[in-house]
Amino acid sequence: MTTRADFLGSLRREMAKTRGLFEARTASPPPDADLALETVKRQMAERWPEALTRFRTEFERIAGVFHRVGRLEDVPGVVRAIAAEKGARSVLSWHPDALGLDLRQSLGREGLSITVAPDIDPDAEARQSHRAEAAEAEIGVTGADWALAETGTLILVSGRGRPRSTSLLPATHVAVFDRHRLLESLEQVGIVLEALHADPAQRMSGAMINFITGPSRTADIELTLTRGVHGPKEVHAIFVEGR
Amino acid sequence: MSDAQLRTPFPQRAHAALGDAHLQEALTIATTKFIGLRKESFAGYPAGEALRDRARAIKEATLQHLDRHLERLADNVERLGGHVHWAATGDEARDIILRLCRDRGVRMAVKSKSMATEEIELNDALEAAGVKPVETDLGEYIIQLAHEKPSHIIAPAIHKTKGQVADLFSKELGGRFEADPEVLTAVARKELRQKFLEADMGITGANFAVAETGTIVLVTNEGNGRMVTSLPRIHVAVMGMEKVIPTMTDLMVFLSILARSATGQKLSSYTTLVRGPRQPGEVEGPEELHLILMDNGRMRQIAGTLREALYCLRCGACLNVCPVYRQIGGHAYGYTYPGPIGILLTAMLNGTAAVKDLAHASSLCGACKDVCPVRIDIPRMLVELREHVDREKVAPWSERMVFGLARRVMASPAVFHLGARLARLAQWPFVRNGRLRGLPLFFGQWTRTRDLPPVAARTFSERWKDLGRP
Repeated sequence: MTTRADFLGSLRREMAKTRGLFEARTASPPPDADLALETVKRQMAERWPEALTRFRTEFERIAGVFHRVGRLEDVPGVVRAIAAEKGARSVLSWHPDALGLDLRQSLGREGLSITVAPDIDPDAEARQSHRAEAAEAEIGVTGADWALAETGTLILVSGRGRPRSTSLLPATHVAVFDRHRLLESLEQVGIVLEALHADPAQRMSGAMINFITGPSRTADIELTLTRGVHGPKEVHAIFVEGR
Repeated sequence: MSDAQLRTPFPQRAHAALGDAHLQEALTIATTKFIGLRKESFAGYPAGEALRDRARAIKEATLQHLDRHLERLADNVERLGGHVHWAATGDEARDIILRLCRDRGVRMAVKSKSMATEEIELNDALEAAGVKPVETDLGEYIIQLAHEKPSHIIAPAIHKTKGQVADLFSKELGGRFEADPEVLTAVARKELRQKFLEADMGITGANFAVAETGTIVLVTNEGNGRMVTSLPRIHVAVMGMEKVIPTMTDLMVFLSILARSATGQKLSSYTTLVRGPRQPGEVEGPEELHLILMDNGRMRQIAGTLREALYCLRCGACLNVCPVYRQIGGHAYGYTYPGPIGILLTAMLNGTAAVKDLAHASSLCGACKDVCPVRIDIPRMLVELREHVDREKVAPWSERMVFGLARRVMASPAVFHLGARLARLAQWPFVRNGRLRGLPLFFGQWTRTRDLPPVAARTFSERWKDLGRP
């Protein structure tokens, strides 16, 4: 069995034989991630309207469905309309603390079955039952930690009350975000991620970050574009204007 | 590729592919489409060219301190509760996975598309050990049902028609399915959804691994990569050691050009960053995460002639533009990695003897280098490989003899002139309609598919001399 010491020892012997092909440097992360993040936030506090326009264009280009509402309280109405259009009965949602909104209060009385992700440390039983519910749900409602304008991408960090599968197992994914979430470039995403990882124990409770750029797609049969091969067939983004 | 197919020499495999009209059509359509999508994507992205230079520099700089980056990666993955395994060979990587399966009672493993696991022929080994491997990328699923191998790095089943896929699904899954990609995709969705929920283990490759954060990065379009890393209780990632990059800032440079090069998308549908197994507050995610860092022939190229091939992102762009790949497709190459970069990777993983024919399966036109997101100089390395197979006497003796002779003739003006005069006499039985055809002996291998202009009645230098010029 090869050990770490064996492996790295052999590697170092090979590395000692060459100085490489040319003088080269990696990309430099910002020296102070938090400071860089503050700069991004300041930039976006001014530039978010352009970013939103760009986000919408790019998101629609990849078959995303864009909605704009005035207040958070308007979101359930959009979800209700999507459910009606799909004939869907079951909705899975991030925990209200993560989403900023409790869909059970607004939609639960309308014949829709609403499942909300647990926000306590789940035991095996809770995990099993959540999985069964997630597998059955037709619509998944999440927040978005960032919305990247350049590519029409929603970025979601997993964690407590924010399951990975809410944006994956249901055939329709609905993500809710506001102007504080908008970023304009991948370069800014890099800064945001550096800052997040500067203190990951405090800043992210989960192990996974997903960049979601439109619905699940494949072109593996005769290069014919087909949506919803494993993940959602449809992705909706609801932009909330308020605050 | 099966042993039987590998025993067929490359020229025969290529010849068979050339005679397959359906394959020819599929290849033309697919590669032309990919070329157009890539071109369009970069045309609308002025920053792209500079980002390609940066990406190339990051790969080279990372290799210059590869030991340090791998150490950081391993430390961080372990700190997050993951396990790191070091595999010198493909056999060792396979054994690590088989041992995990045995110890953890794994009966079924779902896989997202991974060239690294193709490279170590993991599926056969799993099956032999009583573990059912299920490929979940639609293209990979199709070829697994058909008992074939991928024919393109990013579109594994481009050689199959929808009719063939419909027949295959009908036979293997029971039912009668229409030859409509929409219908067939829905069939696969239903079939595989169940497998994701039932499987004990998820196996992936890694497009990148970020050393400073311990993050494994998967780039997919279908969402199977997310399923495989979220639902089963164990996640195993198999990764060539050169896939490590230092930071998130570096990752953004690669993400901005990878999908553009592969499919012309700005980003693939899903970019998944995995940082350790399930964390305490999470309701999903694997209990165990294993990262296998694999050498398998890569290490000796750190200081070898194929070092630059270690920059490869596996985007497939060089396949689409290669005039040879476009004619013969992926299977004719006979190994895991097809196309121009595939020849280099085959030499790296299987030794130079494996590419004694393949090293010549290139016109050296340079199109591959032009489209490579990290500007790998593939033609230069192909020439070096040709030189190597000649020097190491793995090339056939007739080829070495002819080129050895040519070298001596070209090196001396006197011998060259004498040669021209001799050739003028010797060639007459073979000149037909003003072209040299049907040469005897092994020279005939050249003229079997091409002809040559005959040596002129009066050579240029003879006419020059007659003109009385200096």
